[in-house]
Amino acid sequence: MKESESPQLEGQLVDEDVEFSLVELCRVTGASEDELTLWVAEGAFDPNGNEPQDWRFSGALLRRVQTAQRLAHDLQINPPGIALVLDLLDEIETLRAQHRRSSRR
Amino acid sequence: MKYKDYYEVLGLERTATQDDIKRSYRKLARKYHPDISKHSDAEDRFKELGEAYEVLKDPEKRAAYDRLGSNWQDGQDFQPPPNWDEGFEFGGQGDDAFARGNLDDFFEAMFGGGRRRHSRGGPSPAVGEDHHAKVVIDLRDAYLGAERSITLQLPVVDAQGHVTLQARTLNVSIPKGVRAGQHLRLSGQGGTGGAGAPAGDLYLEIAFRDDPRFHADGRDVWIDLPVAPWEAALGAQITVPTPDGAVEMTVPRNSAGGRRLRLKGKGIPGTPAGDLYVVLNVALPPADSETATAAYEAMRQAFNFDPRAQFYG
Repeated sequence: MKESESPQLEGQLVDEDVEFSLVELCRVTGASEDELTLWVAEGAFDPNGNEPQDWRFSGALLRRVQTAQRLAHDLQINPPGIALVLDLLDEIETLRAQHRRSSRR
Repeated sequence: MKYKDYYEVLGLERTATQDDIKRSYRKLARKYHPDISKHSDAEDRFKELGEAYEVLKDPEKRAAYDRLGSNWQDGQDFQPPPNWDEGFEFGGQGDDAFARGNLDDFFEAMFGGGRRRHSRGGPSPAVGEDHHAKVVIDLRDAYLGAERSITLQLPVVDAQGHVTLQARTLNVSIPKGVRAGQHLRLSGQGGTGGAGAPAGDLYLEIAFRDDPRFHADGRDVWIDLPVAPWEAALGAQITVPTPDGAVEMTVPRNSAGGRRLRLKGKGIPGTPAGDLYVVLNVALPPADSETATAAYEAMRQAFNFDPRAQFYG
């Protein structure tokens, strides 16, 4: 195993102020343009802009798109299924947060 | 290295049919998929399932694996017999289902030879791949910012197609105000590009280490604060811990247990900053001495209080 250089790095925070085009987001997440377009058509993601070439995705969506990509590839889930799973995961997250608040006492 | 019982991983007998293997894999993959599961070992389990499935779903690899015999126990020290894979040809590519992450020694040694990292090929394959990793930080780091040294194990494929792991240490500044699930982008720290093309980027996903007191929800932070019955009833000035030092808070008179008090702007910093929610948790002192018992008796006398007045409808 080889140890490489270790410079001090400043990262850029990928938040709401960062935007991705369709091509950029596909590159980062490993999703194909076709599947990401289908997820948008299902309403799973809502980019700004009308045509796919004008689409701008908020940086805050990155994690969700990655989740979609992994689930689609690992479990062979089709676009309507992805949209449903993402909605259900959001709901589970909300319920877990509520549950934590009420059960810690 | 340790022997891996792939049948055990998938919960199957050695006589399982290919259909059984697929069904069992699918079922367990849904259960332990790291994006879905809250099991603490989900990531490892999912990786193990992927390895087991990649071997057992392929009749040729399965036959080679079966030839090792059924007397091995999972986790037992293991050296493959010489020429164990004679007559088999594992020409296949690895599934991308688990191309991420490190591979188990056993799998890598036995079945990993033909593996190629799949490249996230856009129209310009010469550009380096983007890499992803997770960083776990303390909530306090999100309040103050921090510097973290991160060691990544990068699988590197050499000219012969062999995979070796290369350790790479990066010192990364974690900016103040990060939230769980957000990413940090480190430009040019991903995979190297070919022939003068730019390197890919490295994306670090931020996660918070579990904290016994604080819990973050987006930019807001929650804490349960124990208070004495008299503090809740009479009101009090109380010192509340935050991930960034303590603050003073007024508990209003006649506060009920479970009351939620908001300290504006004391959540994770940012524009806007999050809030800190303090949930009052009334703690009862035990009646374990004569004075304490007398005090409870005095309370009983003093109040005409029926906690179940509305209870029976």
